[in-house]
Amino acid sequence: MPSLSTTVGKVMEICSRTDASPNELNKVISLDPVLTGQVLKLINSAYYSLVNKVTSLTRAITMLGMNTVKNMALSTAIIRSVSGAKKSRALPTSKFWAHSIGTGVCAKLLAKANGVPVMECEEYFVAGLLHDLGKIPFGDEYIEVLSRVQGEQRPLISVERDMLGVDHQEVGKMIAEKWKLNEAMTSAISYHHNVEDAPEEFRVRVAYVGLANMYANILDLGYAGDPFPAEGPEQKMLEITGLTWDMFGEIALSIEEEIEKAQVFLQT
Amino acid sequence: MKVKLWGVRGSIPCPGSHTMKYGGNGACMELRVDGRNEIIVIDAGSGIRELGNSLVANDLPNGPLQIALYLSHTHWDHIMGFPYFTPIYIPGTKITVHGPVSYEDDPLKDVVGGQMKYRYFPINVGELASDIEYKRLREEPVIELGDGLILTTKFLNHPITALGYRFEYKGKVFCTCYDHEPYRNLFITDPDHPEYDEAMAYEGEDVAKEQNQAIEDFFKGADLLIHDSQYTEVEYQTKVNWGHSTFEWAIVAANRAGVKKLALFHHDPDRTDEQIDEMAKTYCEPGKYGDTEVFFATEGSEIIL
Repeated sequence: MPSLSTTVGKVMEICSRTDASPNELNKVISLDPVLTGQVLKLINSAYYSLVNKVTSLTRAITMLGMNTVKNMALSTAIIRSVSGAKKSRALPTSKFWAHSIGTGVCAKLLAKANGVPVMECEEYFVAGLLHDLGKIPFGDEYIEVLSRVQGEQRPLISVERDMLGVDHQEVGKMIAEKWKLNEAMTSAISYHHNVEDAPEEFRVRVAYVGLANMYANILDLGYAGDPFPAEGPEQKMLEITGLTWDMFGEIALSIEEEIEKAQVFLQT
Repeated sequence: MKVKLWGVRGSIPCPGSHTMKYGGNGACMELRVDGRNEIIVIDAGSGIRELGNSLVANDLPNGPLQIALYLSHTHWDHIMGFPYFTPIYIPGTKITVHGPVSYEDDPLKDVVGGQMKYRYFPINVGELASDIEYKRLREEPVIELGDGLILTTKFLNHPITALGYRFEYKGKVFCTCYDHEPYRNLFITDPDHPEYDEAMAYEGEDVAKEQNQAIEDFFKGADLLIHDSQYTEVEYQTKVNWGHSTFEWAIVAANRAGVKKLALFHHDPDRTDEQIDEMAKTYCEPGKYGDTEVFFATEGSEIIL
């Protein structure tokens, strides 16, 4: 997988420190979508033969301890920084990062505002953070896709299907399954543009991520290539989640604050 | 089933006049199951040396040895006896070494065999005459070992990956839970702390409780539980995160889980026989902790289940 180098330096710094706190470790990993996914993948494949066991970094750190999670994050980050993995030229890293974090934060805050128990909120964050994982492996051909999206003002997903024969939800699904992410997260990655196709059990969570994605686009949080999404599904997603537009207004300031805090954290 | 304790000490062997009664050798125990040829050994601390001598003297004359060694984890006090385990040098011996290993240290063979390099030891792991196979273990709800013997493994809380073992045979249960420290919420819970995160604080609390319950479920109803209890509550205050339990925790948890016999195990190397005798007056008084019979593990003792 290509690198999202925005956070790698900070990960290496925190993981190399002996006095890093569990909160810092959790935060620095969770600010990097690819790293979060890879750490969860490693945990589920290397330690737990039962699939769908470890679904959040808080859980991973409590169950496996700081050392194991630090080593995983550090080795993953180092491999990435030295392997020279090609970067996506189509989606600038910092903007894609901001969109992923923005969607994660937004999904978490919406869930919290709507009464989802606090301990489940991190899973909403991770689902939002990883929802666009499927866009990362695309190479230079994605530049063409994005330029047609702009030119024809069409939803990204339909242009992907026309030009590449596959969309980022399908690619994301393949990665999620390979990484042994749990079904709720895999559903969010696979169905955030067509929530009604998601398994019923996970539809509510997928709808939160779908709405968070939409809201991150409306607020212009970063850029992930989809400025003209299909119209219509938002009404259905509001029904599924029971959210109201007022709630979006209430969390807007908090989203920006959280993203700003993340940026400051990574730069200091 | 019959369990014999060949080493009960934690951290480092500590022979001497103050450890003669409870023993100074590091973790090792032997499990014999009726009608089963294979000898089950748990851990290869320094106590395994005498076990090896006993097997050569008493079992080898009956035919080649078949040994299944289960390592709780690969910290040195639990593997250091391996090079001195005589059966590994005897042709015809078949040994399977099972154990957990952290992903970055994989494979198990390098971790255990790594101490048999010329720089540490005169014989290289490649020169051993016995047939040794290494099997990495993870958390498994059921492993059928044959002859009706069932094994369950459970990850414990220790600075490296460690496993507890639960053996069940004909309704009897023998369980190990060491090296282990109770799970706790690692995340900041003070809302005024600058790094406080509400979701982490709540989930950390929730997962710790859930995992402590999972550990109790793991040794629920055991006829014999060998549990880490290296420290007193007072000593523990300065040893948080070292990966060990207190006497109090082990006793209360075992009692809650309906354990019949609890062996307090992994004695601190500085703990003298005199101190243990004194502690036994407090912790092992019959009936004090409900129906659980509590005793301090003693090197050379045998428990029949």
